[in-house]
Amino acid sequence: MEIIKERNGNDLVLKLQGRLDTTTAPELEQELKNSLPGVQALTIDMEGLEYISSAGLRVVLFAQKTMNRQGSMVVRGAGPMIMEVFDITGFSDILNIQ
Amino acid sequence: MTGTMENDTLSIALSGRIDSGNAQEVEAELMAMLDQQAHGSLVLDLKDLEYISSAGLRVVLRVRKREPQLKLVNVSAEVYEILDMTGFIEMMPVEKARRVLSVEGCEIIGRGANGAVYRIDKDTVVKVYHSSDCLPDVQRERELARKAFVLGIPTAIPYDVVRVGESYGSVFELLNSRSFSKLIAADPEGMDTYVDLYVDLLQKMHSTHVKPGDMPEMKAVALDWVHFLRDYLPAPQAEKLVALVEEVPQRDTMLHGDYHTNNIVMQNNEVLIIDMDTLCVGHPIFELASMYLAFVAFGERDQSVAVNFLKMPYETACLFWKKALAKYLCTDDPEAVRAVEEKAMVIGYARLMRRTIRRSGFETEEGRATIQLCKERLEELLDRVDSLTF
Repeated sequence: MEIIKERNGNDLVLKLQGRLDTTTAPELEQELKNSLPGVQALTIDMEGLEYISSAGLRVVLFAQKTMNRQGSMVVRGAGPMIMEVFDITGFSDILNIQ
Repeated sequence: MTGTMENDTLSIALSGRIDSGNAQEVEAELMAMLDQQAHGSLVLDLKDLEYISSAGLRVVLRVRKREPQLKLVNVSAEVYEILDMTGFIEMMPVEKARRVLSVEGCEIIGRGANGAVYRIDKDTVVKVYHSSDCLPDVQRERELARKAFVLGIPTAIPYDVVRVGESYGSVFELLNSRSFSKLIAADPEGMDTYVDLYVDLLQKMHSTHVKPGDMPEMKAVALDWVHFLRDYLPAPQAEKLVALVEEVPQRDTMLHGDYHTNNIVMQNNEVLIIDMDTLCVGHPIFELASMYLAFVAFGERDQSVAVNFLKMPYETACLFWKKALAKYLCTDDPEAVRAVEEKAMVIGYARLMRRTIRRSGFETEEGRATIQLCKERLEELLDRVDSLTF
């Protein structure tokens, strides 16, 4: 999976490409731990994301919880398959989805 | 067109296509069936429906006028899209067809009374229930798990209810975790850390407010228990027991219902709680009562029962309970702790007594001894305990 970062002052956009699963979720988690300090508005762009598993959902949840404490988070660009997972698992009630 | 009755619900299966060519026929047949078969509510099973046009949707609207509780089930993805686009999903309950999963070749990673847990991929499991009668229970557990998850309770991410052969299953995140029971048994010296984590999560749960109607009320269940015991306890004791439970105030905060160390797990330094099918709302005394049973009462007459259940020595379980209760109540005062413990014991023994009786306890020596123990404890406690709240 590729993670493309765009930092603009206190805003951070992370664009994900590929699959977010047990193998790649730790990368995203590490990236969040490194980049989130000081961020007030996080956007996770999922347009290039093909697949998300529980491990991936857990990292997204971690990001949401972190941003709940320091600012806000938005998820955008999620395709129909990802949206279905969000609906089934209740994540659509937890995340701010654009 | 075939129809089946279950309880009071008439379920009619529609198949093929419904469009302007046959909509009138379909409607006539449907209405005739509704006339002929007395029923309380109607479900249209759309499993074999491939396509529905506006003419068909109009028929559904007219049926709905006649049957306000109309529900559409087993809807395929294509038909769901039509119903979504046209706003039908906002007008009446529409259930998508369930995913069909195969567990062939999948590793079984756990077995319980209700079914078996299969690993279906790297981070997903499906709990398959033995009997297809279990569907209402499966759906209920999943709904509870999802509500708790959305409210922020750390638990396995719940997916959907699926068809597995003739049975149903519930799909969940696969947790790569160890239960607190295992962790404590492996490191009894480190108990205090686990007590802290265990109590933290419990307090979090007990301060989570639940929307009215979303979860069952524990008080009503406990009242059932104590009313049952009217036939088995001396009248003054039975009366007092009922009065004590009646007096417990209603609460809208969450209770787990089975909060013991087999159900609390650690995954990557995160504490999670599993087994969400006893989730309810109510006063924490009810939770403390079931915890007392798990850690102390179950092993009281025969320690091996507790050891088999919690996989830790009985003394360790009792010590854990004592520490956890003290931490939960934020006090070191042994009398204060004991006072609350006794309240928990009242409800605990009442529950155990009823359960043993209902499971033909009078027919075995084991059962009779347990019932006798509960009776003695209750007699003693009811003399001293004047309120169940703290």
